Amino acid sequence: MAEADAPGKLPFSLPDVDYERYTNRQLITIPLVVLVLALAVLAGFFVLTGSPVQPGLAFTGGTELQVTTTDTAAQIESTFESNGFDVESVQPIRSQENAFIVTFQSTDTDAIQTQAEGAGYDVNSIQGRSASFGAQSQSQALIGLVIAFGGMAALVFALFRTFIPSIAVVASAFSDIVIPLALMNIFGMELTLGTVAALLMLIGYSVDSDLLLNNHVLRRSGGFYESTYRAMRTGVTMTLTSIAAMTVMAITAFLFGIPLLPAVGTVLVFGLTADLMNTYMLNVTLLRYYKYEGVAR
Amino acid sequence: MNLSPRENWRIYLLIVLMLVSTVAVFVPLGGADTDGPTNLQYGLELSGGTRVRAPLVGMTAEVDTGNQNTRELAATVSNRLNVSRTDVNIRQVQNGQDTVEVFADADNGNVTQEEFAAALNAAGVEASTDDIRDGVTQQTRQTAVSVLSNKINSVGLSGGTVSTTTTPTGETFVLVEVPNANRSQVLDLITSRGRVELVAHFPQQRQNESDNGTRTVYRDVSLLTQEDFSTSNFQAQPADGGQPARVPVALKDEPARNFSNAMQTFGFTDEGISNCGYQPASGEDPDTFPGYCLYTVRDGEVVYGASMSPGLAETIRSGDFVKDPTFVITANNYSEAQQLAIDLQAGALPTTLDIQGEGTTYFLEASLANEFKLFSLITAIIAVFAVAGMVFLRYREPGVAAPMILTAGAEVFLLLGFASAVGLALDLSHIAGFIAVIGTGVDDLIIIADEILQSGEVNTSRVFESRFRKAFWVIGAAAATTIIAMSPLAVLSLGDLQGFAIVTIVGVLLGVLVTRPAYGDILRNLVLEDV
Repeated sequence: MAEADAPGKLPFSLPDVDYERYTNRQLITIPLVVLVLALAVLAGFFVLTGSPVQPGLAFTGGTELQVTTTDTAAQIESTFESNGFDVESVQPIRSQENAFIVTFQSTDTDAIQTQAEGAGYDVNSIQGRSASFGAQSQSQALIGLVIAFGGMAALVFALFRTFIPSIAVVASAFSDIVIPLALMNIFGMELTLGTVAALLMLIGYSVDSDLLLNNHVLRRSGGFYESTYRAMRTGVTMTLTSIAAMTVMAITAFLFGIPLLPAVGTVLVFGLTADLMNTYMLNVTLLRYYKYEGVAR
Repeated sequence: MNLSPRENWRIYLLIVLMLVSTVAVFVPLGGADTDGPTNLQYGLELSGGTRVRAPLVGMTAEVDTGNQNTRELAATVSNRLNVSRTDVNIRQVQNGQDTVEVFADADNGNVTQEEFAAALNAAGVEASTDDIRDGVTQQTRQTAVSVLSNKINSVGLSGGTVSTTTTPTGETFVLVEVPNANRSQVLDLITSRGRVELVAHFPQQRQNESDNGTRTVYRDVSLLTQEDFSTSNFQAQPADGGQPARVPVALKDEPARNFSNAMQTFGFTDEGISNCGYQPASGEDPDTFPGYCLYTVRDGEVVYGASMSPGLAETIRSGDFVKDPTFVITANNYSEAQQLAIDLQAGALPTTLDIQGEGTTYFLEASLANEFKLFSLITAIIAVFAVAGMVFLRYREPGVAAPMILTAGAEVFLLLGFASAVGLALDLSHIAGFIAVIGTGVDDLIIIADEILQSGEVNTSRVFESRFRKAFWVIGAAAATTIIAMSPLAVLSLGDLQGFAIVTIVGVLLGVLVTRPAYGDILRNLVLEDV
């Protein structure tokens, strides 16, 4: 068992990071620039669309149905358009032949169902959400995120009782949520109930490696770099394992055409990747500042 | 190997809980309504069916109605608002605590809060829009829920549930879930209120004020509604022997007396016998149709017009009817009669569900749902292999990695046991929760493994315990953050996400309290054995 512990080696043959070679300013610049860029994307989206993210059916209201038909996507669209229903999108499902997901902004679910059945489509699944219900879900999801984040922050401050190490954890958790949100915009992913769940999951996941790092640096004997290295060895394994699991899950679920899971997986991969950067560049730097300069003062 | 229960109690606890889970998941226990080889129950997203979530239409005024007669008050308010008398409901509790409900709002029935307040003022009740809120009272909701469940049960849709959920903003939704039923089937059943009335329609002579001559006017008097019947089991009967399709009913005592009196006063038992030729299909206006008719009215629409039969007229005149008040509610055909029987059995909904305006509907075909079930199982297995691969790659030591995968698997198995034991219906969101639990679980196991296997010999139990405790600080703190992050979702009614949050919280608790400590014990046995 000793070989896993051979000093000076990160897991998965990753190259070692020599933190001593970089100044605090150098280290912290990259995560801060990425965070600012992510916030800029959200702000830009807000200016263009009036909402920082693109809300999906669950939050805007509308109708989504899954049909089986030998028609092509274009034919499906024209079938509905010719009857006055504005089709938002028609997506083929990879795992099933002749199956499509068709979405509408219209909340007249009954009429759309009648139309689909009238056109000879086999309706496998249908869901309709009224606009006001969607708006309410949206505000609730936001409240949920804010409470969850606030609760996490309060707990972290209670655990460490010092400002800089606590704010380091909170800041990187914040960035871990903002970066995936910006990436969702860039990749055209909508905010669904699944992605909200993933964002909340990220609060829990991302804090893991930050807590581990803080714990090793602040509560253990040993030099800063040695402690950081130990925490990193464990933390990087954790995060990479999760990324592997989530990538595999997202791809498999996508190929199978299972709803919800691909979006959850993708957002988690975004967030966990951001977490690697934030923990080992942002959090580490703030801790080093605290250890060498903050405490001395 | 050390098998002493005192030192390895965590492993023994895990084994015991695994056995309990096995019983919960696999052993058929009476009463559980499940399909497949396990006791697991599946929600709509994994079994197929229809879900409807919508608020009840209405406004409630909390006012002081004083000593006003509720009937008169309701009549005044309904007239002012131009809504049906049955759309106004008054509950007098005590001064200042009375409620007046109107089952209409700005979007359904075109009644605004201002108009409602004005109508109350006109009826002599002090009210402003501040006293009026959207939504109905708790009692009305309870009635609606029980009527809806009766309706679903009475058509034999098994496993359907009706409940209410309240959002943090105070809005209450009715949630109807029916497995294996399609959307239109469920909507047909729950969108109509199903209020059945028997209305007497008859001519009356009125004096003309202008020339002192007389003219004939037709009156409609509502005589019986759902509450007036004492029948416990309404059964529709098909048309036979000259009789139309019908539902036999028995009347309660007082309605029977009233009915008997009304029939005689209105003339049904004399000139009115066999004097109704109304055909709903003809399109004639039932309000001015000449004759003596007993209209079967459903939700304000006349579905059938029946004549007074000579036999029934005879028993009413003789007074036998009051002693044995049996009667039939008639319909055009058997399927209408069945609908009436369902309505009579289930009762009338106090108000309608606003599905179009503020509701959501969801339908998934059972075959597709079964595919999701199989595919998500495969997805989960593949994800576990990915984790296993990473862990082997990192430790290159089956003794460390294999128990890690087994422990993570045990965690999910315990969760499945929990789901079966509490009858949680599994949905896709729960699957996402399982994956979250495996993820945090493996993270924690890696922390434990790294802490215990760090350089420096572990040769005594004491060294082990101290390292284990250190590892546990991080695990405990991480678990606490996850639980805090998930708890708002567990209480918010975001529907799908509630299940996800509950599974994650329970999973993290099981992990921190049972499986992850047990993994520590397993590792200790492996490490101390080396010495």
